[in-house]
Amino acid sequence: MGTIIEAAAAATADDRATAPSAVELADAAARACLERAGRGPDDLQLLINAGVYLDRNISEPAIAALIQEDIGANPDIRPGGGQGTLSFDVRNGACGLLTGMYLVDGLLASGTVTCGIVVGADVDPEPGVSEGFCFPGVAGAILLVSDDTRPGLTAFKLKTFPEFAGDFESHVAWHQRAGDGQGRNLLTVDIDEQYGAHALECAEATVRELAGEEGLDLAQVDLLVATASVPGFADALARRLGITAPAAGSSEALARAHTAAPAIALESAPLAASRTTLLVSAGAGLSVTAAVYRT
Amino acid sequence: MALEGGREGSDPGTGYRSRFAAIGACLPAPRLTTDELMASTRYRTDIELERLTGVHERHVVGEGEDSLTLALGAARDALARASCDAEDLELLIVSSISRHVGGLRRIQIEPPVSVSLKEALGARNAVSLDISNACAGMMTGVFLLNDFIRQGRIRRGMVVSGEYISELGRNAAQEVRDVMSDQLASLTLGDGGAAAILERAPDGDGAIEVAGFTTLSEHSRLCVAFPSKIGPGTTMHTDAREIHRVGIEDAVPMLREVLDQAGLEFDQIDYLIPHQTSARAIEKAMTEFTEQLGGRPRNYVITVDEFGNTASTTHFVALWKFLNEGRFTAGDRVLLLSLASGLEVGIVIFRVGELVGRYGHDH
Repeated sequence: MGTIIEAAAAATADDRATAPSAVELADAAARACLERAGRGPDDLQLLINAGVYLDRNISEPAIAALIQEDIGANPDIRPGGGQGTLSFDVRNGACGLLTGMYLVDGLLASGTVTCGIVVGADVDPEPGVSEGFCFPGVAGAILLVSDDTRPGLTAFKLKTFPEFAGDFESHVAWHQRAGDGQGRNLLTVDIDEQYGAHALECAEATVRELAGEEGLDLAQVDLLVATASVPGFADALARRLGITAPAAGSSEALARAHTAAPAIALESAPLAASRTTLLVSAGAGLSVTAAVYRT
Repeated sequence: MALEGGREGSDPGTGYRSRFAAIGACLPAPRLTTDELMASTRYRTDIELERLTGVHERHVVGEGEDSLTLALGAARDALARASCDAEDLELLIVSSISRHVGGLRRIQIEPPVSVSLKEALGARNAVSLDISNACAGMMTGVFLLNDFIRQGRIRRGMVVSGEYISELGRNAAQEVRDVMSDQLASLTLGDGGAAAILERAPDGDGAIEVAGFTTLSEHSRLCVAFPSKIGPGTTMHTDAREIHRVGIEDAVPMLREVLDQAGLEFDQIDYLIPHQTSARAIEKAMTEFTEQLGGRPRNYVITVDEFGNTASTTHFVALWKFLNEGRFTAGDRVLLLSLASGLEVGIVIFRVGELVGRYGHDH
C-alpha cells in the first residue's frame, strides 16, 4: 500500500487584506488543499501542524487543534459517528512538513488512518519587535492518502548533524529593561552565514545515504523538491548531486519560506509527470529529512 | 477515535504487539509547598488551593536544571531499567510543552530539543523529532511508537518529556486575585521529567492491548499558553471549570469505545491513571465514569498531592512511582487516560508484565 500525495496548496499573507495570523494562514492552506483534492474536512483523520513561528508564540494547545476546529474537521465527533480527527504538532523546524509526512505515512501504512494532512505556517509574532525574523508569512498544506495501486512514498531518511547545531538558533527570552524593572519576552532568530553551505553538505550526505540504501540511481530522479529556508538551495543541491532534472524550491518571492516551503514547491511542481521524485528538507539542528516518491 | 489493537491483539499484518520496556523519571530535589506558593501571591487571595485541588507540594527545578536536563535524566533512568542501550533506539520523540534549554529565561524554538537529547544520550541510530500536544504529548508519543512497532517499522523507541513549568505558577502568583482567575490552574503545576521505552513484545507479555486517540477541537480554545508579559517564561489561561466539565463528559463515550474495542468492561481495569490536574476533579470524574460505564476500576491513582500537575509527564511519573513502590503485579491491567488542552482524549490499556521486575520496591 502506498502513501500518495493527493494535493498540495499554499496561502500567502499577500492574499489577504489584513495581516493574518499563522493559524488563519494555515486554515486557508488546509482549506485550499482539501478543495483541490475534492475532499471535505471530515475526511481528515489526522491533522499535523509543522509550523513553529506562531501567533503569540503559543505553546499550548497544539496549533493543529485550533486549525482542526477552524476548518471544521470532526470537531465534536462521537462514537458511532465516524473515526474523528487526531491533531497534534510536529516541531522540527524547516524539516517539519516532511517529518509530519513521515508520521502520516506510518499511520496510513498501518491502516490506523486513511487520510491525513500536514500543514505548516509561520508568521512574525511581533513584527518590528522580533529580532532576526526573516521568513515570509506563508502557509502550506500537503494531503496524503493510502492507495494500494501506486507506490507513492517508498523511503524516508531523517538525520541530524549536531556539529552544526549552532548554525541556526531561535528562542524566546526575557529582556529586562534598564531602569524601571520592566521587560518583555522577545523572539530572536539567529542564522549563521555558514548555515546554507552546511545545509547543502548535510543534505547531500543524507541523500547519498538514502540512495545507497534504496538502490536509487540519482540520474533517474525526474524531479527534485528541496528546501532549507535559504534562496537557491534546490538548484545548488541538484548540482551537488548531479541531478539534471528540474529542481523545485520556493519561488523567488518566497525563497526564504520556512516550514511551508515543501508545500509551496509541490504546489507548482510537475509531480504527476515525474516517475521518481526526491524530496529534501534541511533545517536547524542541523536536521535533514529526505524522501523518495514514485508515481 | 483512531484505534490501535483491540480484541485481535497483535497487528493483523505483522503479528507484532508492543509493550512498555521501561519507565523513567527525573524529579528535581527542591520542593515547594502550596502554602509557600500561596504566601508568595502579590494579592491577598484567600484561596484555599490545597483544599480545592489536593496539591500539597510539587518538585521545582534547582540551579542548572531545565526542560532538557529533566528529559535527559528521565531518559537515562529509563535506559538504566531497560535491557537495551541508547544505540538500540530507532525512534526518539521529545514531547515537552516547555522548552527551556540553556537556562530558565530562554524558551528554545529551534533547533528541536530532540537533536540535543539524541546527542547527549548517544542514540545515534534513532530518528529524532519533537512533537507538541499539550499535556497529551507523551501519550501521543506512545500512540505513535505503538503504531510503528506493531507494523514492524521499528522494534524499539522512546518518548520523553522534561517539563519546567513551575514558572507558570510563579507568574500566576503575581496576577491571581481570586478563585475565579483564569490562571488558577497554573498554581497546581510542578516540574518533572518522564520517559517511556516501548519495544516489540516478543511473546505478547505485558503488551499494549489497545490505544485510542482523538481531538475534540470544538474545545480547543479553553486552555491557551504563551510567553508571559510580566516576566520570564509562560502564562497559561484556562477556563478550568468548563474544560473539566467537557473533559469528563466527553471521556465517557471515548472510554466506552476503547473498552469495547478491547472487549473489556470498566471493572476489568486494575489501575486507572488519569491526567493529574486536581484530586477533586479526578474523584468527580471517577464518580461520573462509574455511573455512566457501570462498575469501576479496582484502583484509581492520584499523585497530584505529591507532584502537582507535571503536564505531559503526569501518567508516567505516576506509573514510575507505583512501579518503584511495588504496587503492581505482573497481571495487573492499567488504563492511562489523557485529557488535555485541545481537547485531546487519549487512552492506553496494557498489562504491567515484566515491568514489575525492573524496579526496586521503595516503600
